[in-house]
Order: sequence, then structure tokens, then C-alpha cells
Amino acid sequence: MKMESRTRLQTWLPLIVLVVLVLLVGLYDRTFFSAGNMLEVTADTMTLFLMASGVTLVIMIGGIDLSVQAVASMTSCILAVYLPRFGIFAIPLAVIGGVIAGFAGGYVSTRLRIPSFIATLAVSGVVLSAGNWFSETKSVVIPGELSQTYLTWAVGDFLGVPNEIWVGVAFLLVLSAVLGLTPFGRLVRGIGAQERAVMASGIDVDRIKIAAYTLSGTMAGVAGIVMAARLGSGSPTLANEFLLPAIACIVVGGTAITGGVGSIWRTFVGALIVQVVRIGMTFIGVSVFAQQIVFGFILVAAVAVTMDRAKVLVIK
Amino acid sequence: MYQMFLGGALRVKAAALAGGAWSKQWRRWAPVAVLVGLCIIIGLFNPNFFGGANFVRMLNTAAIPLVICMGVTFVILMGSIDLSAEGVIAICAVAASMLVANDFTGIAIGLFSVPAAILIGSLVGLLNGFIHVKFRIPSFMTTLGMGFAGIGLATAILGGVMVRISDSSFRDYLSLGRVFDIPAAVYIAGVAVIVAYVIQERTRIGRWVYAIGTDEATARNAGIPVDRTRIIVFGIAGAFYGLAGALSAAQIGRGHALISQDRLFTAITAIVVGGTALSGGVGSVLNSVIGVFIVIVLTNGMVLMGIEPYVQKGVQGLLIIAAVALALDRSRLDVVK
Repeated sequence: MKMESRTRLQTWLPLIVLVVLVLLVGLYDRTFFSAGNMLEVTADTMTLFLMASGVTLVIMIGGIDLSVQAVASMTSCILAVYLPRFGIFAIPLAVIGGVIAGFAGGYVSTRLRIPSFIATLAVSGVVLSAGNWFSETKSVVIPGELSQTYLTWAVGDFLGVPNEIWVGVAFLLVLSAVLGLTPFGRLVRGIGAQERAVMASGIDVDRIKIAAYTLSGTMAGVAGIVMAARLGSGSPTLANEFLLPAIACIVVGGTAITGGVGSIWRTFVGALIVQVVRIGMTFIGVSVFAQQIVFGFILVAAVAVTMDRAKVLVIK
Repeated sequence: MYQMFLGGALRVKAAALAGGAWSKQWRRWAPVAVLVGLCIIIGLFNPNFFGGANFVRMLNTAAIPLVICMGVTFVILMGSIDLSAEGVIAICAVAASMLVANDFTGIAIGLFSVPAAILIGSLVGLLNGFIHVKFRIPSFMTTLGMGFAGIGLATAILGGVMVRISDSSFRDYLSLGRVFDIPAAVYIAGVAVIVAYVIQERTRIGRWVYAIGTDEATARNAGIPVDRTRIIVFGIAGAFYGLAGALSAAQIGRGHALISQDRLFTAITAIVVGGTALSGGVGSVLNSVIGVFIVIVLTNGMVLMGIEPYVQKGVQGLLIIAAVALALDRSRLDVVK
């Protein structure tokens, strides 16, 4: 009974933390509670969530993807450079860039048997060079009229709700369905929980893993596109400083770094927590730079809380 | 003589020469072969590569990466990873530049700022190790968080500005001054390599690092104080980052939070290209020296051949993948996370 209530608490803790944080910030500044502000805050969180949503899958299989910020930057460059030339087709092109980068990370990590954080770090180096190559190392502006024609799905609003939120929620639903309803989702959990067992039951673990990394790259690509649409430009350093918050919102949401446990909605809640913490710090007057310190410690603390220590005997 | 020295250092055993050990032997010497091959190829493309001035330039570029690698190598030999190098270097560089004569603080303790930076670095390193071991958090997470926190701290201290160093003797002694036409930084890096080599070969910590990296459970059963060794090794790594921070500040004459940008990536590339296995237990600080020169020669060669600088990171990334894939002893791994 005690055990059960404890796991139940762990399930709902992130949500409780989010509500408490929102109340705290709201007490500090009443305008925070206005519907417009709430929507704006949520919309601002969506790029972070999109980036983190794919990484969640990778963390659930017990790996890590450190290449997402480079991938998002690269796709923003692809979008900005090719939108004037190819029109709407620049969007799938940019997504494909993310798919390839994610696949490369997965392939290197599984087939070449390189630990994922080094494999994805190495891939991110290549991806960064690619981003620089696409944009010729410059920041590329997306002309306003092109943005009007092709990117309103990301930056406009519909029924009074910013489209970022629609996009974010759509991917939340799709990825949750993939994770919750498909065999792939079950295998992702299985690999995270006990990779050898899944292997022994005759399943091609590498293929599932590569699929997870590919999804991670894809989502980073989508995040890069939405980011570029919001900012009206693409640049090879656009998504820098996003990696740490992205991993933070996954573990803060309650997904364990040791794999097996987690879900996309947790990352959604985690992203909102990270955003509210950031807003709260700005209210109190913590500088943007010092916020990195706080995120560094939040990350370490959240990992410490959520990690399943029974599973790893030797911690490297 | 040179061969004997390097041979002994890279752990070549005469017995290993016999029979089926050929591939193992090749793996051991591959980094040296790669370095020599690279030099020859680049030299063929551009004879200026072999000029004395270019050689000194490469040595000077290699100095700071060498110091950083001496630290990271020990951590990797244990099978862990340290992703905090950039953050720690940033803190130490900012601290060092604030402790010598500068335009930000009134303090001017001259060269004493170097031990101060090393001390700060090792304290942050010990904190890394402590959090990693006591709270049982994987090292890549601990150090990732600490690295970001470090860069944040360095930026927050300065509020986004730079510290200008006005103490010219600090810069001369640490970096710019030349003896026999070779910059001081190179000598300091040389001393750092020797210190690291002595730690590796002549201290218990050095031996234990190999034991832990090879098989931690066995090491524990054999009575090695694994937890304490881990914390100390992270502290040693931090000390090297501290020195690297002071060197960086002296080299450019300023202290700021982004002083160490891309250093980590280069260091890890150099270490794995040098033949130290990420799984731990295999490698040496001398492998990392070879690795650093491979990366530096390659970078230098790309510049000489007129390849855009932004391509370097991509090439480094491919190098990591190729080196690890070639050197990996697949029989030892079943589950790769």
C-alpha cells in the first residue's frame, strides 16, 4: 500500500510541481493568470517541447541524444535557404534533414556500437558543419511574404489559440499514440527496462533503437522549423542553449535517465515547468546567464530523484 | 631510444608480438601510423607544412588541448566521461584573469593566480566526482549539468562583459614569452604531460584507474577504494582544466565565459583518435598526446589546403566515429547504451 501510494505520488509529482509553480509566479504577478498570458507562455514552450519530445524516446531506451540542438539549427537553415527556391517543399526537405541526422546518430550508436552520447556528439559536429554549409555560416532571413504564405501553420493562430500550441499538441497526441498503442512503443519501454530480455526474445533491438533516434532527429527538425518560423530567420547557431533545457524538461517531467519509464505528456509537463521556472527567475531578477546554473542543478537533481538505481549496479 | 620509450609507454609487450596478436599490435600503433601518414599527405599537398614556423604554430595550438586532454583521459580510462571541461575552464579562466592586474577587479596577485585557478578547477572537479559517486548519477549527466552551470556562473560573474588582463608578465610567463623560439605555453603543456604520465605510471591512483576501467566490480572486490579514487580522479581532471583556464586567459589576454568554446569536442576527439577506449581500461595519456597532434595536424592541414574552417567540426565528428569504430574491441560489449 505504501509502495503504491509512493509510485502514485511519483506519477503526479511533476503536475503538482507545475501547478504550485504557476501559483507562486501568479501570486508574484497577477497578470500572469490572464488567459492571453497563459496562452503566450504555453506557445513559447512549444519549440522546447517539440525538441524534447523525440529525445524522450531515446532516453526511454536508455540512450541519450546530444545532437538535437545542432539538428534544429541545421533544419532552420535548410528552411530559410530553400523556402524562396522550392516554396512549400522546403518544409519536407528540412524535416528530411532531421530524419537523416537522427538516423545517422542511431546507426552510429547501434551498428558501430558506440555509446550514444559520444555517437550523437560526433554526429552533432557533422550536422553543425552541414548547417554552416547550407547557410554559408550566416544567419538567413525568411522574407515576410514567404512566411505569410507557407509558415502561418506554425506562427498564426486558430480559434484564438496560437498555432504553436496546436502543432505541439498534435505531436503530443501522435507521439503518445505511437508510444502507447503500437508494438514499437511497447518495445521502446521493453528495451529501456531490460534490453537483454528483449534481445533474447528474438527482436531486432538495433532496429527499434535506430527508429527511436530517427524520431528524435525528426522532432528536432520540426522544432527547428517552428523556431525559424517564429524568429523569421534560420541560423547555424539558432538552437544553441536548447540542449540542456530540453534534457532538463524530460527528466523534470519524470522520465528516468535509466530508461524504461516515461511518456510524452511527462515531457510536455516538464517543458512547462522549465518555462515557468524561467519566467519566475526573470521576475525575481535572475539574469539569463545565471539561469543556466539553475538549470544545471535542476537537471542533476531531477536525475538523482528519478533514476532507478536498482537497475544499474555500476554507475560510470 | 625514442621507439623504446614510446613502445614501453604504449604498453607493447614483446610476447604480444607473437602470432595472433598482430591485430592487437596494429591497434596499438595505429594512432602513430595515422599521424605519420597525415603529415606525409599534407606535406605533399603543401610543402610549407614542414616549415619551422608552421611547426611552432602547431605546437602552440596544441598546448591548451594537451593540458585539457591530460585531465579527460584519466576520467575516460575509468570508463566515465567528463563533459564539464568547457564550463570549468571558463570559470578558471575568468577567475585567473580577475586575480592578475586587470580592468575588472583591484586584485593583482600575478603568477599566484595560476595555482589559484588550478585549485578552483580541482574543487569543481571534486564536486563533480562527489555528486557523481555519492548521489550515484551517471558521470555524463553530472558533468553535463556542471559544465552548463560553469559557463552560466562565469557569464553571471562578468555580467556578459570581458575582463582585460593588463599584467603583461603573466601573459609572457604563461603563454607568449619564447624560449628557443618556442612559446612558454608549449613548455607548460610539456610539464603537464610529464605530470600526467607520472600520475599514470608511478602512483596508486594511476594504477587503480586502469583497474576500475577494466572491471569495476573486481576492482572493488580487490579492495581498491573505488569511490574515493573516482572522486580524486575527477579532482585531478579539474586541476588540469584549471591550468588550461589560466593558459587560455594568458593566451588571449582576456577572460570571458566563452573562452573555452569547442574545447571539449576537440579534447574528446583527440582522446579517442589517440586510441583510448571510451569503455575504459585501455589507453594512456601518451595516446592522447598522439591524438591531440592528429587533430591539430589535420586542422592545420585543412587550413593549408584552403578548406573552410566550419568544416573542421564535421571532420572531427567523423574522426570520432571512425576512430571508435575501428578501435573498439567488440567482444567486450553486449549492450551499448
